Amino acid sequence: MTKDPFSHITDQELLERFYAEKNNEWLGILLERYTLLLLGVCMKYLKQQEEAKDCVQQIFVKIITELPKYKVDYFKSWIYTIARNHCLMKLRDRHGRVPAELTDSLLVSWDEDPVKNKHLEKEQLLEFMGQALEDLGKEQKLCVILFYLEKKSYQEIAESTGYTLMQVKSHIQNGKRNLKLLIEKKAGEKSKSS
Amino acid sequence: MNKDLLNILSNSNKDIDNQLLMDYLNGKLSGEEKQAVEQLMADNDFMNDALEGLQHFDNKKDLDSYVGQLNATLQKNLQKKKLRREKRRLKEYPWTYLAILLILALCVAAYFIISKAVHFR
Repeated sequence: MTKDPFSHITDQELLERFYAEKNNEWLGILLERYTLLLLGVCMKYLKQQEEAKDCVQQIFVKIITELPKYKVDYFKSWIYTIARNHCLMKLRDRHGRVPAELTDSLLVSWDEDPVKNKHLEKEQLLEFMGQALEDLGKEQKLCVILFYLEKKSYQEIAESTGYTLMQVKSHIQNGKRNLKLLIEKKAGEKSKSS
Repeated sequence: MNKDLLNILSNSNKDIDNQLLMDYLNGKLSGEEKQAVEQLMADNDFMNDALEGLQHFDNKKDLDSYVGQLNATLQKNLQKKKLRREKRRLKEYPWTYLAILLILALCVAAYFIISKAVHFR
């Protein structure tokens, strides 16, 4: 993998320079940072190497045409939405069925954590988190604790619990999502009662 | 209560280091580094999907050449777009460019006429 000579410039700065100077060179540098990730996303959905490669090319073309038309603030979320929707469209063409499309609203939670917006005190948040963790299912609780608190890798968790790697991953992700929901609920109850 | 609990709520939006991903895929990372990448995956759907997909590649060495080819095509596309834009600009303002050429031609002609006039005198 060749080293990015512009690594000192952040994605956000590259995007701003592209908008200010209308110079494609900045866009080129920015997009090259995402080639590997986009290839991975396309491969996840399409499962075929050559098709995934073609798909990345199509996504690049789409981005080059679409990006100058809008003021994109969160480039990473935007490019991910474009990539996923493109893959879903390809799958739909392939299978003739309609998978659910991602909408921008779904991605709001990605950049703006709703829990943060509640302006909860740190101590209060920790207390809610402790209670919420107790309310989680057994598998999710175990995986979340091993992963976030004991800093174990997926592989180590799989070995010590006997779950498969996929199960470990899904317990962590679902556990994390459920924790957020539980905390939201507790915060809501508290603001009602006070 | 352990302060690490708050990490569970984080949504990572860090810029992504491709070399780190490749090292993760090739099993070159230490336990701690591996866990850090996995934490990024758990906090970021884009990264999670990407790594899941990249793990499906039969030969991880192919990835470098795929990325190289894709980047080369990307640069070509960007160049083409730039050329097209320049051509369009020429098409959009033909009179401006014609006027500039005419003024330049007049300047050159004036220079010769004046220098000849000075010579005759």
